Amino acid sequence: MGLLTDFYNTVAKFFRPQEEIVDEASKSVATNRLKLVLMQDRTNLTPKILEQMRGELVDLLSKYLEMDKELLELNFEQEGDQVALMLSIPVIRAKDEEEIEKAIAEAAEKKAEEAVAEDEGSEEEETEETNEDSESENEDLEEEVAEAETVEESEVSEEIESVSEDMEVDANSEPVPTKTNSVKKVEKDLKESTKV
Amino acid sequence: MAGRVIVITSGKGGVGKTTTSANIGTALAKEGYKVVLIDTDLGLRNLDLLLGLENRIVYTIVDVIEERCKLKQALVKDKKNPNLSLLAAAQTRDKSAVNAEQLKEICDKLKEKNDFVLVDCPAGIEQGFQNAIAGASEAIVVTTPEMSAIRDADRIIGLLNTKEEITSTRLLLNRVRPNLIKNNEMMSVDDVVGILEIPLLGIIPEDTGIITSTNKGEPIVNDEHSLAGQAYRNIAKRTLGEEVPFLDLDEPKGIVAKIKNVFAKLKAKV
Ligand SMILES: Nc1ncnc2c1ncn2[C@@H]1O[C@H](COP(=O)(O)OP(=O)(O)OP(=O)(O)O)[C@@H](O)[C@H]1O
Ligand SMILES: [Mg+2]
Repeated sequence: MGLLTDFYNTVAKFFRPQEEIVDEASKSVATNRLKLVLMQDRTNLTPKILEQMRGELVDLLSKYLEMDKELLELNFEQEGDQVALMLSIPVIRAKDEEEIEKAIAEAAEKKAEEAVAEDEGSEEEETEETNEDSESENEDLEEEVAEAETVEESEVSEEIESVSEDMEVDANSEPVPTKTNSVKKVEKDLKESTKV
Repeated sequence: MAGRVIVITSGKGGVGKTTTSANIGTALAKEGYKVVLIDTDLGLRNLDLLLGLENRIVYTIVDVIEERCKLKQALVKDKKNPNLSLLAAAQTRDKSAVNAEQLKEICDKLKEKNDFVLVDCPAGIEQGFQNAIAGASEAIVVTTPEMSAIRDADRIIGLLNTKEEITSTRLLLNRVRPNLIKNNEMMSVDDVVGILEIPLLGIIPEDTGIITSTNKGEPIVNDEHSLAGQAYRNIAKRTLGEEVPFLDLDEPKGIVAKIKNVFAKLKAKV
């Protein structure tokens, strides 16, 4: 018996890669950390630019999703050989088609307004201040709209929930962080759910 | 004759620039080429010690620039090899005693009468670095397989890439420890080359012989039995355009190691 177990252990040990993995960690951790830091060194993606990217992504995604903007994370991560830009979004709920259309229309309107404002700005620099004022007013307004939307939320989200169970969206629970690819999924599911 | 001006640089300090300059210079001189080594590390001169020439230095590069002597007078001939000479750094002055233009002028003059001008660069990316690269058309970037050294090397490579005059930038990986790499505790040659993405000129193993050779003031390339010496001789040959295979230091040997390696890779993919 003893002989057999010894033999078994030797064979099992040979096929067990754990030891190797523990060792490998040190080197691959170093390689991965380096790749990330060099990526930032080389591209000059300053924290300021990352913050700007984050802001623009929030604006874009807000059309489709209601999320916890404070908890949204944008980070570089190492995935095998590649560096991935990972966006983690705590989704509160997905918006329905009507809301999305409204949001898109609003955004387009805002863009047009901005374009007009810019034109004026280039002609007459004095107007700049007033433009800024109106912009911040716009933001306030948007927030109010967003608040108003959350009131209707529960009915809509129930519907969505029942349609796509695997979706990480739940109006009643804490916001659940999801990765970028699940955003696409949410969009897709959303289309499906509204068709039903 | 227009010789080649090669700067040996690194970013991070203490990774082996001076050791490399002394050894490649000696190896090239042994091959029969005329070589001048320039120490541009003002205030921290060391190349004279590594070559065992510290007692022969009368004039320095600053004396040349401030016209207290002729360039030729400041060149100290090597004890063993008359093909090799050293232009020493001033020990009592700092980096501001020299500017890039002046250094370029010296390099231009020296390359007229020599096959190789090797410039030993100080650590850092400031004035001293700018001075050292000013006259060069090729660069050797020295690093060790450690994160901080590699990061600094990457920065240096970026800066060298912006210099039009520098047409070739190659990597020298120093202080490689095969045992650590075998156990995956140290980045391998492939890892480092993969990250820095410049051609590999050579690999030097960690070798205590380098310390004793420094003690004696005799570069390790003169030791026929040393592995590091062999590695430096290979580098000199590659610099001359010969194709010499790299010393095989990093691949785990034997069938068990190979199988383990496969497992490690499989696991890494999961
Ligand atoms: N391959 C090696 N094996 C063992 N020791 C080494 C090796 N290469 C360099 N060293 C040691 O590392 C130390 C630093 O080397 P060296 O002076 O050549 O570096 P450097 O890059 O010129 O430093 P600095 O930035 O200060 O000018 C020396 O003590 C040297 O002996
Ligand atoms: Mg040095």
